[in-house]
Amino acid sequence: MKDKIILLVEDNPNDEELTLRALKKSQILNRVVVVRDGAEALDYLFTRGAHASRPSSEVPQVILLDLKLPKIDGLEVLRAIRADDRTKLLPVVVLTSSLEDQDLIKSYGLGANSYVRKPVDFVQFVDAVKQLGLYWLVINQPAP
Amino acid sequence: MPSEVERLRRGMRVVSSAIAAVAEATLSSQTLLDTLVRSASEVIKDTCIVMLATPEGPKMASVYDEDPVLLEVLRELYAEPMGPAAVYTNHAMQTGKPGFYPAFDLESARERMSPAMHATFTRIGLQGALLVPMRVQGEPYGVLVVLRHRTRHRALDELDLELALDLANHAAIAISNARHVDALRENAELRRAKEELGRANGFLDAIIENIPDMVFVKDADKLAFTRFNRAGEELIGVSRDHMLGKTDYDFFPPEEAMHFQGMDRETLRNKVLVDIPEEPIHTVAGKRWLHTKKVPILDESGTPRYLLGISQDITNAKQNQQALVDAKERTEAANKELEAFSYSVAHDLRAPLRAIDGFGQALFEDYGDRLDAEGLRMLQRVREQAQRMATLIDDLLALSRVTRHDLTPERIDLGVVARKTLAQLQRMEPERTIDTHISPSLLTIADARMMAIAFDNLIGNAWKFTSRTDRARIEVGQVHIDGERVFFVRDNGAGFDPQYRHKLFGVFQRLHNEKEYPGTGIGLATVARIILRHRGRVWAEGEPGKGATFFFTLGEPEDV
Repeated sequence: MKDKIILLVEDNPNDEELTLRALKKSQILNRVVVVRDGAEALDYLFTRGAHASRPSSEVPQVILLDLKLPKIDGLEVLRAIRADDRTKLLPVVVLTSSLEDQDLIKSYGLGANSYVRKPVDFVQFVDAVKQLGLYWLVINQPAP
Repeated sequence: MPSEVERLRRGMRVVSSAIAAVAEATLSSQTLLDTLVRSASEVIKDTCIVMLATPEGPKMASVYDEDPVLLEVLRELYAEPMGPAAVYTNHAMQTGKPGFYPAFDLESARERMSPAMHATFTRIGLQGALLVPMRVQGEPYGVLVVLRHRTRHRALDELDLELALDLANHAAIAISNARHVDALRENAELRRAKEELGRANGFLDAIIENIPDMVFVKDADKLAFTRFNRAGEELIGVSRDHMLGKTDYDFFPPEEAMHFQGMDRETLRNKVLVDIPEEPIHTVAGKRWLHTKKVPILDESGTPRYLLGISQDITNAKQNQQALVDAKERTEAANKELEAFSYSVAHDLRAPLRAIDGFGQALFEDYGDRLDAEGLRMLQRVREQAQRMATLIDDLLALSRVTRHDLTPERIDLGVVARKTLAQLQRMEPERTIDTHISPSLLTIADARMMAIAFDNLIGNAWKFTSRTDRARIEVGQVHIDGERVFFVRDNGAGFDPQYRHKLFGVFQRLHNEKEYPGTGIGLATVARIILRHRGRVWAEGEPGKGATFFFTLGEPEDV
């Protein structure tokens, strides 16, 4: 299970730290790759730019994607992921603040596998992250 | 010679009565001529004819003989104008001198008349003839012809000639008068017709003048104004004295005049009405908008002669329409802004709260053992308030969502909606026992999602405010007040002080303290907005400790 990588796309350092803490608290010890905007997320996924030298065999088991991101927003990242043969089958979990209809509809419309709202209550947040990890890293069977 | 005197007297009597008859008979020249031949025939004998000068030669105008058979023969004989062949008549007409033939020699006159005439005269045994010219207003008018042919009468003599001259003279004067009368009568008729036409025109003018739209007429050639009504003067701000004879180029900016005349030419070329729903016009009073119809006016041959234009001033209607469009645009812009604002709130305002709560929890977990009880209590407060703020933000977003989202009215049963809400509340607090009553049929037309939010708040309040009530009861139903259908949600909970009832539906307005009954004060504002969007009304009745009832009506949901 440890070789399964989680890609966390998150620009807010507080959220990043809290998410990592929540993963740790949930005993999810997988490697977490953190990218801090949409452009970097795509660079990582398509092995280019600052991530050009990473091993191309390294494929994330699940992508935790924030929507409001600098440069390229989460929905655009999702669109790019779904448009490319190399990434179109990757599970993407939208992990964001909003419960606005437009975000939900667009996310699912673009092929998000799941949509989770970050609760303000950290106890609930840890619980949500725990369930996410359990489901996407253990229960769910990814595409070959 | 008593018989001679007697003949003269009788002749004079006939002439004077004939003159009287002629004077009375001035109604028309024809009546007069008929009277003349009849009188002449009676006094002079036998046949009398009046030949009139026409461009085709002498033509019989009237004839008389006591023998109706002969009269018919003569009428036929003289049916056509006689032309130059009428030697005797023409001679008398042209010279103005009478022809007197007491013993007419038919045989020697054979060459001077038509064979038919000669044959007829021979058959009746013409003995003598008299031809007296008549002149009217100095011009040859005609000839009075007397033919004597009956053997019982003597030959024509000088007296007969005198009588004939008298009769012809009087007749000529009467005809002259009759012509004057006819001319006068024609004048009078013409004048009457003109007056009639004038009155009709005046009526049409008054209609055109009083039409509240601008009416104008231009000639097809130069497109100069030939008519202009009062509404036009008022609209353009120029009197018609200045308009008439001039063209659009004299009053309007060149490109505008060009547009007007272009439409004029098109109308005249195609010979059909042209409708211009909107066109600007710059008058001395400023820019106005017109709805103009242009109509070609054609003559009998189908050639366009005039252009009729009718222009309605639609400036006010257009301004109102523009104001509506502007207002709609402003509303749309405001909604867009609200949408953007809400989106930002949903994403950005919650992130710091997560950090406050999350690091508070981290602090508790990692350093809790170094804090005393008071420190832990304060840390707990920090987290509580961060979570409360998150709830407030969520409620505010829900409120703005109620405003932002389009309504989808459909047929729904509010009872079903209420039961769902209650079931959800029961799941969250399974330990509570509440007596609920929901009327069986609360069918209405409303937006299902909005009504669910309204009931979440109304029934949620009832649930909350009966939390300290023994034998709590919540009722959802309907009543009819003044014929209007009114829905209600009633509880027997904490109630409220009616003097603050006006504050119930305001945002952030709370009538109870947070400790006893927690809440954000946004729920009822959300309910009010949902009901408002359904064009209904909402109000409440209550007393402290005796429960509260919230009433609402539903009108036609607003247009999307």
